[in-house]
Amino acid sequence: MGGQSGPTMDSGDFIDESDYKSSAQAVKSSKTIQGGSSSLSGSESGKMMVGNGGPDSYEVVFVKDNVSVHPTQNASERISGRLRLIKQGASLFMTWIPYTVKGGGRQGSSIMKSAEKDRNLYTIRAVSLAEMRSIRRHTPPFGLQYIIIVLTSGLAFPPLYFHTGGVREFLSTLRNHALLVRSNDDSNVYLVNDVQDPLQRSLTSLELTEVTPVAVVVEPPPIVTKKDETVQPVEESPASTSMQTSVYRQGPRREASREIINVLEKFSMVTKFARDTTAHLFGESRLLGNSEMDFDRGPMRLRNEGSVSKSTGELPPVDGAQEPVKDGKEAAAKDEGKDTKKAQDEESEKQKRIANEEASTNVGSFELVDGTKNDTPALVWGRARPPPLGHEEWVTFLDREGRVVDSKALKKRVFHGGVEPNLRPELWKFLLGHYKFDSTYAERNALVSSKREEYKVLQAQWKTVSEDQAKRFAKFRERKHRVEKDVIRTDRTIPFYEGDDNRNVELLRDILVTYSFYNFDLGYCQGMSDLLSPILYVMEDESEAFWCFAALMERMAPNFHRDQNGMQAQLSALSKLVQLLDTPLHDYFKQNECLNYFFCFRWILICFKREFDYNDVLRLWEVLWSHYLSEHFHLYMCVAILKRHRRKIMDEQMEFDTLLKFINELSGHIELESTLRDTEALCLFAGEKGAACIPPGTPPSLPVVEVDPFAVSLESSQNL
Amino acid sequence: MSARKRTLLKVIILGDSGVGKTSLMNQYVNKKFSNQYKATIGADFLTKEVQVEDRLVTMQIWDTAGQERFQSLGVAFYRGADCCVLVYDVNVMKSFDNLDNWREEFLIQASPSDPENFPFVVLGNKVDVDGGNSRVVSEKKAKAWCAAKGGIPYFETSAKEDFNVDAAFQCIAKNALKNETEEEIYLPDTIDVNASRVPKASGCEC
Repeated sequence: MGGQSGPTMDSGDFIDESDYKSSAQAVKSSKTIQGGSSSLSGSESGKMMVGNGGPDSYEVVFVKDNVSVHPTQNASERISGRLRLIKQGASLFMTWIPYTVKGGGRQGSSIMKSAEKDRNLYTIRAVSLAEMRSIRRHTPPFGLQYIIIVLTSGLAFPPLYFHTGGVREFLSTLRNHALLVRSNDDSNVYLVNDVQDPLQRSLTSLELTEVTPVAVVVEPPPIVTKKDETVQPVEESPASTSMQTSVYRQGPRREASREIINVLEKFSMVTKFARDTTAHLFGESRLLGNSEMDFDRGPMRLRNEGSVSKSTGELPPVDGAQEPVKDGKEAAAKDEGKDTKKAQDEESEKQKRIANEEASTNVGSFELVDGTKNDTPALVWGRARPPPLGHEEWVTFLDREGRVVDSKALKKRVFHGGVEPNLRPELWKFLLGHYKFDSTYAERNALVSSKREEYKVLQAQWKTVSEDQAKRFAKFRERKHRVEKDVIRTDRTIPFYEGDDNRNVELLRDILVTYSFYNFDLGYCQGMSDLLSPILYVMEDESEAFWCFAALMERMAPNFHRDQNGMQAQLSALSKLVQLLDTPLHDYFKQNECLNYFFCFRWILICFKREFDYNDVLRLWEVLWSHYLSEHFHLYMCVAILKRHRRKIMDEQMEFDTLLKFINELSGHIELESTLRDTEALCLFAGEKGAACIPPGTPPSLPVVEVDPFAVSLESSQNL
Repeated sequence: MSARKRTLLKVIILGDSGVGKTSLMNQYVNKKFSNQYKATIGADFLTKEVQVEDRLVTMQIWDTAGQERFQSLGVAFYRGADCCVLVYDVNVMKSFDNLDNWREEFLIQASPSDPENFPFVVLGNKVDVDGGNSRVVSEKKAKAWCAAKGGIPYFETSAKEDFNVDAAFQCIAKNALKNETEEEIYLPDTIDVNASRVPKASGCEC
């Protein structure tokens, strides 16, 4: 392996350890590393202590091999890996790292790559116990034992199947390090860290009691003998079924995508997984019946940040985050900052810590990682996002004449990594639709100069209005007055717009007044200055900023219509999404007459512009404008944020006014990256059912042109 | 009613964009002024404990978006209001002319039980600007309008200079309380439990 494969994703476990230099030796010593596969010799669930007991040290308190994820019910598609519990300071982390598949090399077949992708998708990197809400144990009379871990965010990991037993041991180890409360309604459910809440309430909110355990049918998997493509993780031979779990899938995965809307094409496997697993757990009828579907009950945490790939697949994966132990270490370091006391009695210390945090936040223990509390990422697990798209990589997306060869790959790249600041002026023009993806350098140059002339003409239409003329032109005076009132209070704390007589503030005004002439029927409406400000900041060019803004308004205009139809459509879609993804919360809102979702009005009208700091807004908008997973990613984001605070909302019995206040005050306290990850998972989980909540033409989709049905379908497919 | 020690008074501030609604609210509640408040999107509110005559009441002051295009939101925000404050900028004629629209729109959307006697208070804001030289709406004109609408109390204010703000809100609280008490008398308890009107003890802390 070594030189051939390099630091690739498929090195999985091995790389994780070797990158963590201070501990690499100790870990390696307990392992046999052969041909890229890593395996544990000796005791399967042995302990090892690494480091000298100082703050940097960690201890692996539990190891279990042959724990697998079953992306589909097809046994050959199982992904097998190693489950570990790692203790660091007072914190405990769980990791599940899939085994490396040997052979083929990363530039090998596409099958190979998709298998890699799968493994990265499901890898669990250092999830803290503090993020866990509950663990459900399934011990069907026939078939494999498995567990489902639900996170405080309401999301969950896919079921982890224990091929060689050990669920009991896993739970008892956990119990030694965290407070694990067994539900008295369902002895298979363990609530993690549930020190404050009445058990009953927890169970009610989780609705786990309703879950009917479904016996897992383990089909005898086909024997795969291609040795060069499989990895055998463990010398100590597990049951024969588990031998096959490490075999990556071989079949094409295209079939599923037929049923799935086009935007999800690349994620068909994921969606299929979501559907399969959910159906698997709750019965097909339940999922399809949907009225009772609750994300809390059968969701899974999905990630695909590992799939940094251009069409060429040349990009080396980002390895920076493939360090579960390091992640854990960082998180632990943060924790230690909070409580400096050395843990003597670990159990009581842990509880004390939880109690302290609760006292300080007045948020339930399940919300310990709440973003309102601090700026640290709520979820430490998972791969850090890839670096932003830079110039060198950008040119590889273009053909010789400057056309974007694979716009979908580009959008995906932007969705996951964003764009480097110096590339934004160029890239945003594509994302916003001012530039066409299939335009050439020459065409774009021509466009820039012709649009510059056009802008001058538009601007002259009002700049040439004389004072005398203005006296007889009330509509113009009012419009200009309204714009002026707003630009002088738009982002004035940002250096770009601060200070008296700032030229950029004048540019904001000029562009907005010009736009109100360009689109006279729509005119100027509050919120527009918020949308324009970052665009001008990035473009630093009046005409370019104008045309980008105009392109954005093609999608956003219905937000500003007098009848508010665009906002109504989005708020109503949001309501349906919450109903789909968090039925108890929906019911709560219904009971409390909050179903108009006006408390999310600001979020939606100006795309979270007031909720994040300026740089985060730039980052977020790129993600939203990539329209990669959904054109309505922002609505899923609303759901993700609401879900994160669902417990507080319901426990404190917020009503419309208190809820609105609470939501308004989240401004500046929402951690972007973890929210994006939650949103991505929700969006993938919701799949077609989510998309079905959002009628065609709902902003920011381009308006549906009502011509003949054929033309409409053509247009909507182009939009994707 | 006995369970409710403190009375919550819901006050809605309306008026054209840029007349100083947010500033007035912040000056009154937080004793702060900034000329860089962002345009209000949607709505927000602040609460303040005030003593009105012998009673300690909590005023929940709602600040709304000033562009009439967002008026359709009003139905959610105006409901259960005890008093409506109409604000205009004494330096902008249009903002005064629009008082009629704001008042009517409020009555339509809030649909108070007794629209004829629903308490309004009018504030002519920004009297400090340019030493009063850029003023276009006279006090006389404003008072005439208020009288024609059934004797609406009128105050000239400056949120920037903290001029007359406390006095205006004292009056607002008093009128709101009067309205509140009257409604309590007329409405049976069962209706008074109405969610948006009577928050639980926990609901009014912010």
